[in-house]
Amino acid sequence: MIDWTWLAAHLGVIAYRTGQHVYLAGIGVGVGFAISFALALVAARYRALYPPISALAGILYTIPSLALFAALISITGFSVVTAEVPLVMYTLVILVRNIVAGLDGVPREVLEAADGMGHTRRQRLWRVELPLALPLIVAGLRLATVSTIGLVTITGTISDAFGGLGYFILDGYHRGSFPTEMYAGAVPSIVLALAADFLFVRLQRRITPWARARALEATSP
Amino acid sequence: MTAAQSGRRAATVEYEHVSKSYAPARLRRGAPGAVNDLSLAVPAGKICVLVGPSGCGKTTSLKMVNRLIEPTGGRILIDGVDVARRDATELRREIGYVIQQVGLFPHQTVGANVAVVPRLLGWPAARQRERAEELLALVGLDPALYRDRYPAQLSGGERQRVGVARALAADPPVMLMDEPFGAVDPIVRERLQNELLRLQAELAKTILFVTHDIDEAIKMGDLVAVMQVGGHLAQFAPPAEILAAPASEFVADFVGADRGLKRLSLTRVGELALQPVVTARVGDPAGEARARTFADPFPYLLLLDPGDHPIGWINQHQVPASGTLDASLATPMSPLLDRRTTLKDALSMMLDADVQTGIVVDRAGRLRGVLTVEAIAAALRPGADPGGINAGAAGAGG
Repeated sequence: MIDWTWLAAHLGVIAYRTGQHVYLAGIGVGVGFAISFALALVAARYRALYPPISALAGILYTIPSLALFAALISITGFSVVTAEVPLVMYTLVILVRNIVAGLDGVPREVLEAADGMGHTRRQRLWRVELPLALPLIVAGLRLATVSTIGLVTITGTISDAFGGLGYFILDGYHRGSFPTEMYAGAVPSIVLALAADFLFVRLQRRITPWARARALEATSP
Repeated sequence: MTAAQSGRRAATVEYEHVSKSYAPARLRRGAPGAVNDLSLAVPAGKICVLVGPSGCGKTTSLKMVNRLIEPTGGRILIDGVDVARRDATELRREIGYVIQQVGLFPHQTVGANVAVVPRLLGWPAARQRERAEELLALVGLDPALYRDRYPAQLSGGERQRVGVARALAADPPVMLMDEPFGAVDPIVRERLQNELLRLQAELAKTILFVTHDIDEAIKMGDLVAVMQVGGHLAQFAPPAEILAAPASEFVADFVGADRGLKRLSLTRVGELALQPVVTARVGDPAGEARARTFADPFPYLLLLDPGDHPIGWINQHQVPASGTLDASLATPMSPLLDRRTTLKDALSMMLDADVQTGIVVDRAGRLRGVLTVEAIAAALRPGADPGGINAGAAGAGG
């Protein structure tokens, strides 16, 4: 079934496409996080803006990527921007909601104590609220990253220059279903997603030792 | 820098015609209690308890001091300076703040939590750490054991101790405590209350303390401000005066029908003049002792060991006419009280033992005198000055 000779001959290009996959997904999540973070801070500060921001992110999430590519190509051409816009867009709904939920989850008495001890607004945000929101923020990043790694594949529909590992899937499909090439795209992309998932779990444990202390406490007699 | 050196810094707190009213819409949404023309002055180094039913504005009054709530009228002065003229964050760093739910930062260790205000004030890291350890020790938590724990790993009582340590970290002249011991069980609460009083004896901060529990108010307060719904100050006086002479029916109701009993917990055995009693030591000639006990209206002789420690009572009719006194003659003893026992505890012990007389001993267990139920009742009589009471029992002294 699997054409090992083809695989052996294409190791270099598989490595290149893997790198491209990571790169495209990384930009998508990175830019998506930056935008989401700003939106979430605005929403947390001005509560009235949260419903419209959240609704907008939800609507963006429903726009089909192919339709978006068609529309964007006329503006931004066959550039990396065209590829990234939908990737970024799809991360917003997860990230904004998780960051806001994280900030909302900070106990009232903790905020009252922080204010009462003389934190400025900014100090309270950076020293108290964001650290406590971290578990949910990282959970959002984890979900957004895994789903973006899956979505990078569709950027291959813009042009052969994009797509990351998805290039092999589309190309194998166009050749009349060449399974070896499709596996060469699908398997590493699944491995990437699993690796990202694992890394975020590790990261979360690492940066929130206090959450683990609580878990330990809950299980001890 | 030890607590004793750094402490003893206190400021006066004055409310001048302070009011807080809320718009009707906010009241419907459950705004905190309003305050109506509150004027009171708390001297430096005293504990002033704001007490009253829920909705009386006591918490609102407290939070106006550190400007978590801004008054709609009047002003609050700390050491003569209007708090409204101060930068709110700077002001708050100079005021210790303890709340019922503690509000420790869950993501920071106990040590970091205690050092929050020093960190905000930009102290060097080493000094922050040193101060945190000093304060943990002060509130009775071994720094080596607790410094690196997270709040989730503490019991409720331990958390509130850390909360108190955190409030004291930057040595504030004023402390605000909003029902600080309201969320812990009664045994822990009592212990925390006693520890706070012990700390206060050492630190002499100006403390504003909010509670809805009149017993806690009487126990903790040098001064008690009783507030009633609508934010009116019903009475502002030392606890003994609130109990002895409630200013209104509301205050009398609020302190409860048992206010006489409550006064018992304000007075300690040592504050009353103890009565003498006829005593004799083991081995003393019985005849002489018998003569002395019959000369005294109190029908019992108290037998002591050679070190003056009470052994027990002997009914005057059972004192032998000759020979020497023997420990086997004595019947079981009345409760032993010491000078620090409150009259409430003393009375309770006497009732439990079904006796009319308690024996008061010093720290070494040596006899100081006796206290009768009648003497306690006399201390409660209106206008009675506990220190001046002397039941004037005749008879030879022990």
